[in-house]
Amino acid sequence: MPLLELQGVIKNYTKGDQIIPALRGIDLIIEKGDFLSIVGPSGSGKSTLLNIIGCIDTPTKGKVLYNGNDLTALSDKEKTYYRKENISFIFQSYNLIPVLTTRENVELPLIIEKKFTKKEIHEKAMKIIQIVGLADMADRFPRELSGGQEQRVAIARALVKNPLVVLADEPTANLDSEMSEDIISVMQKMNEERHTTFIFSTHDRLVEKHAKRVIILRDGKIAKDERKNNGNTE
Amino acid sequence: MGTLSKIAWRNVRRNKRRTFLSALVIAVGLGIYIMMNSVMSGMDRANIDNLIELSTSSIKITTQEYNDEKESLPLKYGITTPENVISYIKKQDRVTGVTPRTQFLGQLSNWEDTMPVMGQVINVETDRTVFDLEKYIDGDYFSDSKENEIILGKDLAEEMGVNIGDYITLYALTKYESRNADEFIVIGTLNTTDPNINSNVILISYETADEFLDLENLITEIDVAMERRVNYETFTQDVDKLAQHLKNKYPQLEIKTFMELASGFLKITEQKQFFGSILMLVILAIAAVGIFNSVLMSVYERIREIGVLRAQGMKRNEIIKLFLWEGIYIGLIGSFMGVILGCGVNIYLVIHGIPLEKFGKFSNVGIPYWGTLYGEWNIGAIVFAFIFGLIVALAASYIPSRMAAKLEVTKALRFV
Repeated sequence: MPLLELQGVIKNYTKGDQIIPALRGIDLIIEKGDFLSIVGPSGSGKSTLLNIIGCIDTPTKGKVLYNGNDLTALSDKEKTYYRKENISFIFQSYNLIPVLTTRENVELPLIIEKKFTKKEIHEKAMKIIQIVGLADMADRFPRELSGGQEQRVAIARALVKNPLVVLADEPTANLDSEMSEDIISVMQKMNEERHTTFIFSTHDRLVEKHAKRVIILRDGKIAKDERKNNGNTE
Repeated sequence: MGTLSKIAWRNVRRNKRRTFLSALVIAVGLGIYIMMNSVMSGMDRANIDNLIELSTSSIKITTQEYNDEKESLPLKYGITTPENVISYIKKQDRVTGVTPRTQFLGQLSNWEDTMPVMGQVINVETDRTVFDLEKYIDGDYFSDSKENEIILGKDLAEEMGVNIGDYITLYALTKYESRNADEFIVIGTLNTTDPNINSNVILISYETADEFLDLENLITEIDVAMERRVNYETFTQDVDKLAQHLKNKYPQLEIKTFMELASGFLKITEQKQFFGSILMLVILAIAAVGIFNSVLMSVYERIREIGVLRAQGMKRNEIIKLFLWEGIYIGLIGSFMGVILGCGVNIYLVIHGIPLEKFGKFSNVGIPYWGTLYGEWNIGAIVFAFIFGLIVALAASYIPSRMAAKLEVTKALRFV
């Protein structure tokens, strides 16, 4: 059974009397452990697709199955629970909590999960902060960090709870190529060791290069779905 | 400290100016309430003290017939064997003094003007154990002189144009309802905190009144003073208990506590407290609007943040709690500031008081009072104000908190 399956997903937005289609019938199967990059021009529906998979938006039509369960039929409470248990987001604009330090921002998803002791939360957070190279900035507030550092905190925050699916909207947009490589290798390591599924929406060639699978979206439809094997496309 | 409260506290600290202004409105509201409560309690306490020490005593005993006609202060209904009653009451717990009094109506004349007065015949020795008139007397208290001595209310003396040492004529009906008049020497004037006494009352001694009013040892009332307790409620309980005991012992007598005698005044006191509370509610309603606005601003500033928290799996009720915490902190700061402000002003009121004479003589609602009005400490009112400020802050932040929780995650994340 696939981890995620989208069946005929349509998403329309309304602006006054106007209906603006964002997704025009998406059929997609995502397996556990996919390292998937969604590419396409602005307005092609990349973010909408991520939002629907992340259960923070609902399709106008169609089904989204997670381990065979229809996410579109879930109540708001159940969707919140689904996100808490399975999903992590990395946003293009970081969206860190400004009044929390690096460490506290990274600890937040674990605190929301309510599964670990304070000590465990602290240890897990510090470990991932070290991985993203911000150990000496653990007690700094977001305003004291550069854009790239903020994005690394956002990435650490997404990875700390070891989620099944990470949805990343332009995760390397504000990082230099060296840091991008480092971050991608962290994500690849998690993907390989823990079979975490990564779904990127990106313009970054580097992410595309490392992705095992690339989906090209155009006008709300899948224009191409290519799976790479050892650097070769299938 | 939980994460939600930590985030809330840091946000409250981050917006110092907004927090301070919102808290200030609460502080002013609570401060005014605490101050008003202090002044009103002080006024009530002073009025009750006035009543007990100058007019009603703790318990007043008359015959039932006298009580039925008390408006005319008749001299025909004396208490039978008053010495026995006085001697029995003196032995009771917490009784600090017992004295007889006889009141009568009379007229005072300076040969040009005549004024109606309320006469009080007092026992020179025992009256001071119950009433506190002596400290308000300018001039002398009653002596062993064979002359007819009289003490007048200060305003009355001024009205009649007499000074200490002058003579004045007093007219009154005797016990046998025959008209009598005699000359009295003014030995002192009474300048109490009760303008009614100052402008209407005269005092003469039983030694003088026996002959002038043909009293023949007639005593129309017995006044009882009881030990004053720090706690007003305990004092009234003591008074009630003794009054009940005396009612059982002397069923033929009319026994009234000062609470019964001053029931009208005590009702006014309750009303004043009620209006004080209404005023506080109005002020705090204004404060509530301030807090509502403050938390709402906070919600609008942090819409994206709310989106992130919801995307991470934070429940709606946790978002509500997050913003309620902000309200609680603003309320706590405001209430704390209010209590400091109120208590600060109160210290001055308790120590120095408000000199009412400076504003001219006046009457407050229902009972006359003048002099220096001191504040009272009312811990209950301070605690109430603190908790109430907190509740108002909590209630005011609830609606914006719910608005925050209802935001759609995608819209919140897109919000710029």
